[in-house]
Amino acid sequence: MNNPVISVKNVTKAVDGRQLLVDVSFDIAEQSLVSLIGPNGAGKSTLVKIILGLDRQYDGLVTVRPDERVQYIPQLSMSDQHQLPMSVFEYISIATSSLYSMSPKKVDFQQTLTHVGVSAEKLHQSYVSLSGGERQRVAIARALLGDPTILVLDEPLAAVDYASRSGLYELIRHLQQDHKMTVLLVSHDIDSVLPLSDQVLCLNKSLHTDCHPSEFVSQTGHVNKSVHHHC
Amino acid sequence: MELLTFTFVQYAFLGGIAMAILTGLLGPFVVQSKQSIASDMFAHVALAGIGAALLVGMSPWWGALPALLIVSTLIWWLLDSGKYSPDALAMFFLSGGLALALAFVHVARDTVFSFENYLFGSILTLTAIDLVAILVATVIVIGMVWYLWYPLLGATQSPRYLVPFRHTPQIVQLLFFWLLAIVVWIGIKTIGGLLIGALLVIPVLAARSWASSFKQLVALSTLVSVASVFFGLVVALYVDLPPSSLIIGTAILIFILQAGVSIVVQKQTT
Repeated sequence: MNNPVISVKNVTKAVDGRQLLVDVSFDIAEQSLVSLIGPNGAGKSTLVKIILGLDRQYDGLVTVRPDERVQYIPQLSMSDQHQLPMSVFEYISIATSSLYSMSPKKVDFQQTLTHVGVSAEKLHQSYVSLSGGERQRVAIARALLGDPTILVLDEPLAAVDYASRSGLYELIRHLQQDHKMTVLLVSHDIDSVLPLSDQVLCLNKSLHTDCHPSEFVSQTGHVNKSVHHHC
Repeated sequence: MELLTFTFVQYAFLGGIAMAILTGLLGPFVVQSKQSIASDMFAHVALAGIGAALLVGMSPWWGALPALLIVSTLIWWLLDSGKYSPDALAMFFLSGGLALALAFVHVARDTVFSFENYLFGSILTLTAIDLVAILVATVIVIGMVWYLWYPLLGATQSPRYLVPFRHTPQIVQLLFFWLLAIVVWIGIKTIGGLLIGALLVIPVLAARSWASSFKQLVALSTLVSVASVFFGLVVALYVDLPPSSLIIGTAILIFILQAGVSIVVQKQTT
């Protein structure tokens, strides 16, 4: 792959003799939607932290192309009893302040919300009063204000009830194409991400070949939906 | 009311209300970042600074300020390294600060000095210079919180996750620690190092059920904080009890009252 946005080469990580990642290598192409899937404990979050530069204790080489703007949406919890009140307006405004945004600008917050499928009337409601799906969409809206070229989402459906799930992955795919972003999507829900992904990486400490054969993963096009996977 | 004509009483009200505004303003950020114990940690470090100031012949209160700013930077750096858990670091500096303070005061052999004034406050002994320092520090803290409002909101919410490839959240968190250090510095002179934490936390707990945004929470917790200081000081003029106890007692009473009202309101709406 020529000039990948993210390049991971021979990444291995062990903690107290326990292997978390074993010789993981892959490249991510510009403006592609890549899904990283695997069971609990497979090392997905560890790998994401390494890619984001939050964890530097590993062997191997990870390079992110210079000048890329990265936004990360961590896994949201369903409810946090200790979360203090914060309005949706305040939640989004954090991303527009001069210290966080590369280019702080005046933003129409109501339009920002409707862009991700949330009613503009929710702008002055408490963030914790939103449903899991709405919170995830608002988190995406906030990330988009940073004008990212790379968007990393960790288990975007984890805190979303079943009724709110429909359309969220489609929204992510639509936004990825609309904003010309590279998206790295972490999920354990292979059936939902497969039809939307340009590339699927199945991780279980190392990249799982059953789930990542060259015949069903296209680096440039969509995935062949007929292939079965075992993660 | 005649008591209000005394200068020391006027200084106590002005200094106390300035402190209440600061604790009400910064308290929600402290609670949100789960750093409630940090104020206690800083207060013990301030005691070591006070002891060191005694050794070199400085004013003890002024000696606490550089100690607070230096050690708060050290604590921030240690926390940011990720090697040490926050509770273990808190105990390290709590105990270490106190041990150093005891040693410094012992070596200084100052027979007049009393730790009690800094542990439990001495708001009725504020001088004009103290008051000016408190008011200047208040203006600085309010100005910085106003300027850094949304960065502070982001840094205390999820410091590592907002912009992973830039260091601004960590720098904002350092500024947050310095602001907290300044508030503790004012606190040890007014309400006392061991009690400032209560005024940072209790008003937030009392206000959180009644707010739907962070701005509302800050406004309400400031109101509770100012009311606690005002009524605590008024009662202290007529009752022979320490002002610090009365101020914290008022805050606890407001918390209990609002909890009762909240339960009644919830029952009526369900």
